[in-house]
Amino acid sequence: MEASADKTTQAISELSMDSSNSSIAEPGASDGAGPRSKNALKKELKMKQREEERKLKEEEKAKQAPKAQSQKSVAADDEDMDPTQYFENRLKYLAAEKAKGENPYPHKFSVSMSIPEYIEKYGSLNNGDHVEDAEVSLAGRIMNKRSSSSKLFFYDLHGDEYKVQVMADASKSGLDEAEFSKLHAHVKRGDIVGVTGFPGKTKRGELSIFPRSFIVLSHCLHMMPRKAENADSNKPENRVPGKPRNPRKAENADSNKPENWVPGELRNPDVYVLKDQETRYRQRHLDLMLNMEVPKIFKTRSKITKYVRQFLDNKNFLEVETPMMNMIAGGAAARPFVTYHNDLNMKLFMRIAPELYLKQLIVGGMNRVYEIGKQFRNEGIDLTHNPEFTTCEFYMAYADYNDLMTMTEDMLSGMVKELTGGYKIKYHANGYNKEPIEIDFTPPFRRIEMIGELEKVANLNIPKDLASEEANKYLIDACARFDVKCPPPQTTARLLDKLVGEFLEVTCVNPTFIINHPEIMSPLAKWHRSNSALTERFELFINKHELCNAYTELNDPVVQRQRFADQLRDRQSGDDEAMALDETFCNALEYGLPPTGGWGLGIDRLTMLLTDSQNIKEVILFPAMRPQDEPAAAAKGTI
Amino acid sequence: MEALKVWSLTATPLRQLLRLSSSTRLFTSIYGRRSYHSSPALRCASAASSSSSSNAATAETPKPSGRNRRSPSSSNSTSDREAIRSIRLKKVEELRGQGLEPYAYKWEKSHSANQLQEIYKHLANGEESNNDSDRVSVAGRVVARRAFGKLAFLTLRDDSGTIQLYCEKERLSDEQFEQLKAFIDIGDILGASGSMKRTEKGELSICVNSFSILTKSLLPLPDKYHGLTDIDKRYRQRYVDMIANPEVADVFRKRAKIVSEIRRTVESYDYLEVETPVLQGAAGGAEARPFVTYHNSLGRDLYLRIATELHLKRMLVGGFEKVYEIGRIFRNEGISTRHNPEFTTIEMYEAYSDYQNMMDMAELIVTNCAMAVHGKLTIDYQGTEICLERPWRRETMHNLVKEITGIDFSELGEDLRNAKDTVLLALQDVLEPKDKSGIGACSSLGHLLNEVFEVVVEPKLVQPTFVLDYPIEISPLAKPHRSNAGLTERFELFICGREMANAFSELTDPVDQRTRLEEQVRQHNAKRAAAAPETTEQNAKKEDDDDDDDDDDDDDSYEVTLDEDFLTALEYGMPPASGMGLGIDRLVMLLTNSASIRDVIAFPVLKVQQ
Repeated sequence: MEASADKTTQAISELSMDSSNSSIAEPGASDGAGPRSKNALKKELKMKQREEERKLKEEEKAKQAPKAQSQKSVAADDEDMDPTQYFENRLKYLAAEKAKGENPYPHKFSVSMSIPEYIEKYGSLNNGDHVEDAEVSLAGRIMNKRSSSSKLFFYDLHGDEYKVQVMADASKSGLDEAEFSKLHAHVKRGDIVGVTGFPGKTKRGELSIFPRSFIVLSHCLHMMPRKAENADSNKPENRVPGKPRNPRKAENADSNKPENWVPGELRNPDVYVLKDQETRYRQRHLDLMLNMEVPKIFKTRSKITKYVRQFLDNKNFLEVETPMMNMIAGGAAARPFVTYHNDLNMKLFMRIAPELYLKQLIVGGMNRVYEIGKQFRNEGIDLTHNPEFTTCEFYMAYADYNDLMTMTEDMLSGMVKELTGGYKIKYHANGYNKEPIEIDFTPPFRRIEMIGELEKVANLNIPKDLASEEANKYLIDACARFDVKCPPPQTTARLLDKLVGEFLEVTCVNPTFIINHPEIMSPLAKWHRSNSALTERFELFINKHELCNAYTELNDPVVQRQRFADQLRDRQSGDDEAMALDETFCNALEYGLPPTGGWGLGIDRLTMLLTDSQNIKEVILFPAMRPQDEPAAAAKGTI
Repeated sequence: MEALKVWSLTATPLRQLLRLSSSTRLFTSIYGRRSYHSSPALRCASAASSSSSSNAATAETPKPSGRNRRSPSSSNSTSDREAIRSIRLKKVEELRGQGLEPYAYKWEKSHSANQLQEIYKHLANGEESNNDSDRVSVAGRVVARRAFGKLAFLTLRDDSGTIQLYCEKERLSDEQFEQLKAFIDIGDILGASGSMKRTEKGELSICVNSFSILTKSLLPLPDKYHGLTDIDKRYRQRYVDMIANPEVADVFRKRAKIVSEIRRTVESYDYLEVETPVLQGAAGGAEARPFVTYHNSLGRDLYLRIATELHLKRMLVGGFEKVYEIGRIFRNEGISTRHNPEFTTIEMYEAYSDYQNMMDMAELIVTNCAMAVHGKLTIDYQGTEICLERPWRRETMHNLVKEITGIDFSELGEDLRNAKDTVLLALQDVLEPKDKSGIGACSSLGHLLNEVFEVVVEPKLVQPTFVLDYPIEISPLAKPHRSNAGLTERFELFICGREMANAFSELTDPVDQRTRLEEQVRQHNAKRAAAAPETTEQNAKKEDDDDDDDDDDDDDSYEVTLDEDFLTALEYGMPPASGMGLGIDRLVMLLTNSASIRDVIAFPVLKVQQ
């Protein structure tokens, strides 16, 4: 099959090993015909190429039909194996290595550059060029292994969301052939390796590293889940064959960067390599490894937090930390988690909001404070609720809710612009299989008056005194008439909330402020300066979900105590989400809280919008899950 | 740091207890707390004096009022305070009666006090700036007030500093001047606008044209000359502390700066910030008693995290190469000047690096923070000069123990009993009885070495010191040392005798990891079994020692199991990596010269008030 080994390998190194293109080797090769390979060697090379093409085709078959019995590839054999057997074999191999005195888990591998840096630096090489005098050390995870003979192995090395091909050739390895093939026989898909070698491009333009040394740094003991056969074009290897791929730059972006998803664009988890949601959320490491968009979701999340932080830092806000364990869970209406401090013999609640503490800091003289952190609510888990979630709350002395609406517009539109390049994002509001919608963050945002708009849209005439029995009865009737469910207790606040959900929130697809909530719905907000039954409050809704909640803070301690007393009445009537009185907080107000605007934002929900996620679990690394009998069972096999 | 899952034995009965009482609790707590509302505990003025707070008071005393020591707001009894409250409530009513809102909605301020002090520092005594562009408006709290016939001086403080308000009757409307005299008390929050002038006595002032009461305060400020000396109340009512002692807020400003500097430093190395769960099915990554809670809809117990380590390592398995999390950690342990049940750490993990790299990172983070806060690397901590100039000393635990005690553990041999005898003999003059029993309880040479280190060496590590190569027995998540059997590639950083950071080359071998965690569980269970009969005795003993590491007293009556999710993740292969945890509260203590962790946590956990 081969002529002299040296010549063969040299010839092979001129070839692209991008397996998806093996069937169109001819055009690929001519594309890449650079000055170096033109004349003298041309004929000889052509012969060798044909041989190699044949080998590549075999390899391709091996890869695409891993279960076919006829294949001899090491990798293919592995894929046949029962997952438990595979795991046992791997353990045995490691035990044998240790028994020989080898350390299968080296302490340190010096990486000279990251894979993206490597692509940046060498991506512009001409096809067929090698930079033999350069020495580069890369490390990453092997996500694909192909071999054409025991002397030549191809790997896809993934790191930092990018990948590069490793073309391991016995003749350059400094090992004899037996050692070389033994080393590579034990390298499995999923292993983490360190490679030191020189950069180059195959003749067909695949940027590669040609190792002079190759070391396994950590072993994947489980069979790595594989993409189902013949699935669609999500995976980089399955690019449409024959598609013109001329501009070198575009090609690099394509072939080395597995996914080009950016915030604000659509995603489709239905075509992920690893689709099973349980496995994705429970074993996030697999999700991150196999589904190339997933790391970007969490990078986007980090960018969102960073943007918020910078936005506030630039306005001289101070980031603070307030307790997550409270004697009283205040600042919001929600069921708290309860825990117990053994040593202090004291019951504690996980915070449901940092509001009351942050306002105490304003009383103490810190005029602009914010906190980005976890809140905890002992509630059910669904598409938009996780028991712990992240919010940003800020408080700004001498500002009111009008200022805060402007700031909200600035912050969110600025963020969307920075992350996506424009003000409009695409979102699968109705599921991945339905037409996506567009959400427009161009400021200013629509503003609707809660009661006025509700009366208009639902054709209601709500009694002006919302605290009255009459109003309560009117709203009970209204809910019944529109078939709007409001489980008991049917307090006026709850009834209004349901009606607003039914008639107003559904209209808020583009960012919309619903403003001026009635006092009974807002125990911590200040009465409206021109209508004392209302408060100076707004909620920002996007895609029908609440994203922000803010108000001019109630700072009259007498009124605040009265509001808490009203809440207590609701609590007594069975609304266990009514707010509890916090004496320390009321006392702080008596020392004087300056006029203050306060604001809260749900970071998880914002991240969902910008990453086309309909499930909050998509944007939380380790979401809360129901207990499972066999935690790891789902991922042991291929998916 | 042990990666162990913890299940509390007491969880079920406790949970039921909590649930049973939760419905009634809120009422009792409301009334319970209201009942002490008028008790002396909430009074804000206090007669005694302490040096630190009186210094503070002097520092912020405006010069002209220095002679005027009448402090109209100080009150020494509940009845005084209640009387003031009702007088002020009456003023609120009267203001409303006049159509004025004592709780304003908004104020546009053009400058902070400190900005004005800067901009107008050129004004000579008696000079006034009268351009239109010199119209300024400020807002803040009235902290001093003197009124004469046609003239009143107010001192206004905002979060940058103070400025005097010079209120002449002729510049204000009659109405406003009368309001000023009749309604404004110390503690009120005021907005004022006017022009700038320096008084003949040299005090930069705003000649007020108009003002507005923004927030009427109902309670008198604490007596600023005597300060707020009731330490307990300083923590319970931090806002009062901050009003009385403006430098308290400085600690939190510095804290924000430190956290921001840490973030800036690690992000300049491309670390990605992530968030891992606080509520966990099992609490791993360290050995500590966790808090237990109950999730109603999942119908299961959850534990508050005691470390972020295991989840962050799973991120490395997932392919992130540099991750960090700054977040709250919870440990169900006693409180002290160094321990709060919730505290903040940064944990960071970097693929393809080892603990040597992490030492450089620790030096970089701490020195960057010191420069950000102090602008220099020689700092004072509670009277001791600390030099943070790099590089810091790096020494192995063996050598440090040998240096301080003369005991060479590498020559002690394998026999634990002999080793203990040698140690007890060599250190008989140094050890307290408690230490001796600690040494007696050591279950291995590694534990013994660590015990000697903690008791004898730790307090002596005042200048920054990396202690290297901990015994494997006490380091279940660290990689075995590449050249010394029995040791791990681990370091802890000590400054002022306190552990600041803990780091290692991470153990990546899933088989070794499983064995070590199993050993950990075995040891924990053995301890638990042994401790069970003594529990009552121990409880009796541990009443008081508030300020000690009372690790030895911890009863171990919580259960620990393997974290299978973590182990499974390791089986998919984690790259060689190093990781570090650094206690942010302790770093802030060091860099703000704070003696207690309660000084750097805005709202520390305190014992229930009787």
